[in-house]
Amino acid sequence: MLLRLQGISKRFGRDWVLRDLSFTLERGEVVALLGPNGSGKTTLLRLMAGLLKPTRGQVERAGKALFLANPPAFHRHLTAREHLLYDLAFHHQGKEPEEALDRFGLPGDLPLYAFSSGMKKRLALARLTLLFPDIWLLDEPETALDKGGRELLLSTLAEARKKAGVVLATHDRTLAERVADRTLELGVA
Amino acid sequence: MKLPVEGWPEAAGQGRVGVVRRVVLLALRDLRLEVRDRAGLLSILAFFAVMLFIMALALGPEEEPLRRAAPGVLWVALAFGSTLLSTRAFALEVEEGTLDDLLLAPGGKEWIYFGKLLFQMLLLLPLAALALLMAAGLFYLPLERLFLLFLTLVLGVLGYASVATFYAGLLARLRGREVLLPLLLFSLVVPVVLASVRATTGLAEGLPVAEISDWWQLLLVFDVVYLTASALLFPVVMEG
Amino acid sequence: MLKVAQPDRPDALTWVFLGLGLLLLPVGLYLALSAPPDVNQGYLARIMYLHVPGAWLGYLAFFVTFLYSLLYLFRQDPRHDRVALASAEIGLVFMGLALVTGMLWARPTWGVYWTWEPRLTTTAILFAVYVGYFLLRGAIEDPELRRKAAAAVGILGFINVPISYMSVKWWRSLHQTQSIDLTTGKIHMDPAMLQALLFNLFVFTLLYLGFVRFRSLLAALEARKEEA
Repeated sequence: MLLRLQGISKRFGRDWVLRDLSFTLERGEVVALLGPNGSGKTTLLRLMAGLLKPTRGQVERAGKALFLANPPAFHRHLTAREHLLYDLAFHHQGKEPEEALDRFGLPGDLPLYAFSSGMKKRLALARLTLLFPDIWLLDEPETALDKGGRELLLSTLAEARKKAGVVLATHDRTLAERVADRTLELGVA
Repeated sequence: MKLPVEGWPEAAGQGRVGVVRRVVLLALRDLRLEVRDRAGLLSILAFFAVMLFIMALALGPEEEPLRRAAPGVLWVALAFGSTLLSTRAFALEVEEGTLDDLLLAPGGKEWIYFGKLLFQMLLLLPLAALALLMAAGLFYLPLERLFLLFLTLVLGVLGYASVATFYAGLLARLRGREVLLPLLLFSLVVPVVLASVRATTGLAEGLPVAEISDWWQLLLVFDVVYLTASALLFPVVMEG
Repeated sequence: MLKVAQPDRPDALTWVFLGLGLLLLPVGLYLALSAPPDVNQGYLARIMYLHVPGAWLGYLAFFVTFLYSLLYLFRQDPRHDRVALASAEIGLVFMGLALVTGMLWARPTWGVYWTWEPRLTTTAILFAVYVGYFLLRGAIEDPELRRKAAAAVGILGFINVPISYMSVKWWRSLHQTQSIDLTTGKIHMDPAMLQALLFNLFVFTLLYLGFVRFRSLLAALEARKEEA
C-alpha cells in the first residue's frame, strides 16, 4: 500500500466537494481520475499530496508524494537549469539536470518567462523524473503538450509505473484507456 | 503539533549540514529572484528614500532638532520599509503558485521559515545600512561608533524580521494581507522599536556602553523568544 | 471550569454564573457607591470599582486565550479554539472598559487622558493585538486554518506582554521630562473600599465565567450551522 484514503470528505465553505471517498494506490499502478469540471479532481489530488486537509477522514502515505499542478508553477525569473538545480537541492538530491533537459528537449539557459506552456509542461515532467517521488499526482498532464511531448509523457508514465504509483486527473479518455490500470470516476457532488 | 509521520528516505540520511545548505540556498534563490525582478525592490528603495527626505524637510532645517529626531526617524523608516519588504518574502511564491512545491519538500517545514528569514535579513541589512548613511547625511547622526551602531541594527532588524516573516507566511494565502500585516506586526514590535531607538540615541549622544547594554539585552531576549516561537508555530500554520 | 460540553442550550452552571453575576451587579454597585470617598481623590476614586475589575479580567481573559490557543495547537480540538475565541472577545470588552474608565479618571487626576506609562502602554498594545486577532479571524474562510492562525496570534501576542512592559518601563525611566507617575494616583484603602472592590471583582469574575461559557456555546452553534 502506497497511499490510502479512508472516508474522505472535503468542504469549502458550505459546499461539499468530495463526500465519503475511499481509495487505495499500490506501487506499480496507474489510476486515471475522470470526471467533469468541478467534480473535485484537483481537490482530491491536493488532498492526496497533503496540501489540503480533509474535513473528515484520513489520508495515509507510505512514501514521498509530489503534485504536478495544471498549469505547472515555476519562478519565471530562473532558467530551466537553475530551477531544476534548486528543486534538487531542496529535495536533498545530488543529481545533475543535464540529461533530463536533453531528454525533454529543453533549453537549459532560457529564463522561464520565455517558455511556452507546452515547454513548461515538459519541464514539469523533467522535474518529476529527477525528483522521482513514490506517489505521482498529476493534474491534466496531457494539456498543452504536442505530439512529441505526449510521447515523452507516455514514456515517463511507463517509467514511473515500474517503481512508483501514479494518479492522474484527465479529460482525455484515450489517454486514460491507454495508460491506466483502472479509473476512478468522480461525479458532481 | 504533529510532525509528519513519514519521512522521505533521502531526508533521513541528511544531517545538519543538509538543512543549513537548504536554508542558505532558499535565501540566495529568493535574493536572485528579487534582483532579477527589480521592480519590487526599486519601488521600495524609492519609497524609503522619499520618506527620509520628507521627514528631513518636515523636521528641519535647524541641525539640533534634526539630530535629536535622527534615531526615531531611522527606526520608523526601517519599520515601514521592512513591512513592505516582508510581504516580498512570500509574495513571489504566491504569485507564481510555487508555495506548494516548497511545502512538499521532504522533512519539516521550519527550514522554509529560516530560509525566508535569512532572505529578509539579506535585504534588510543593506537597507538598514543605507538608512544609517542617509540619517548621517540628512539628520546629522554621528557615525563614530559605527560598529556598535551596526550591532544595534542587526539586533533590531532581526527582531523585526523574525515576526514579520512569520506573519507574512501566515497571511500569504489570504486576501487583504497588505492591511493585516502591519496591524498584526506593529503591535508586536513596539519593544524592538523602543529598544533600538534608545540604543541608537545612546550611541549618538556618546553614552558609555554599560548604559546601553540593557537595550541590547532586551533586543536579544526579544529576538530569541520570537525566533523560537515563530519557528515552532510556522510548520503548524503552513500545513493543510 | 471553562470546558463546556456542547449541548443545544446553556447548561445549569452557565446560568448560575450569569444569573448570580447579574443579580449581584446592583449589589456591587451599591457597595461601591456607599463606600467612603478617598481621602485624596474624593468621589473620583469610585471609578476604580469598575476600572480595576475590568483591567484584571481583561488580562485574565487574554491569558485564558493564550492557554487555550496552546491547548488547541497541541490537541487540535475545535472546542479549545472556541473557548479561546470567547475569552478574547470578552477580554476585549473588559479591557476596553478598563481603558475608557482609566482615561476618564486620568483626565481630572493627571490633567491628561493618556500617558506613556508602562502599564497603560502595554495594555494598549495588548488591546491592539486582539483587535488584530479578530480581524484575522474574519479574513480566513477555511475553519481549520482560521483556528490555527488565531491560535498563533493569541500566543505571540501574549508572550509579548512582559517584554513590552519592560521596554516601556526602561524607555520612560530614561525620559525624565515625564512628570506624571502612577504613584500620584495612589489610593488609601479603607476596609470598606477594599471590601467593595473585592466584591465587584468577584461579581465581574462570575460574569466573565458565565459569558465565556455562553459565548463558547454560541461559537459551537455557529460552527454546527456552518457545517450543516
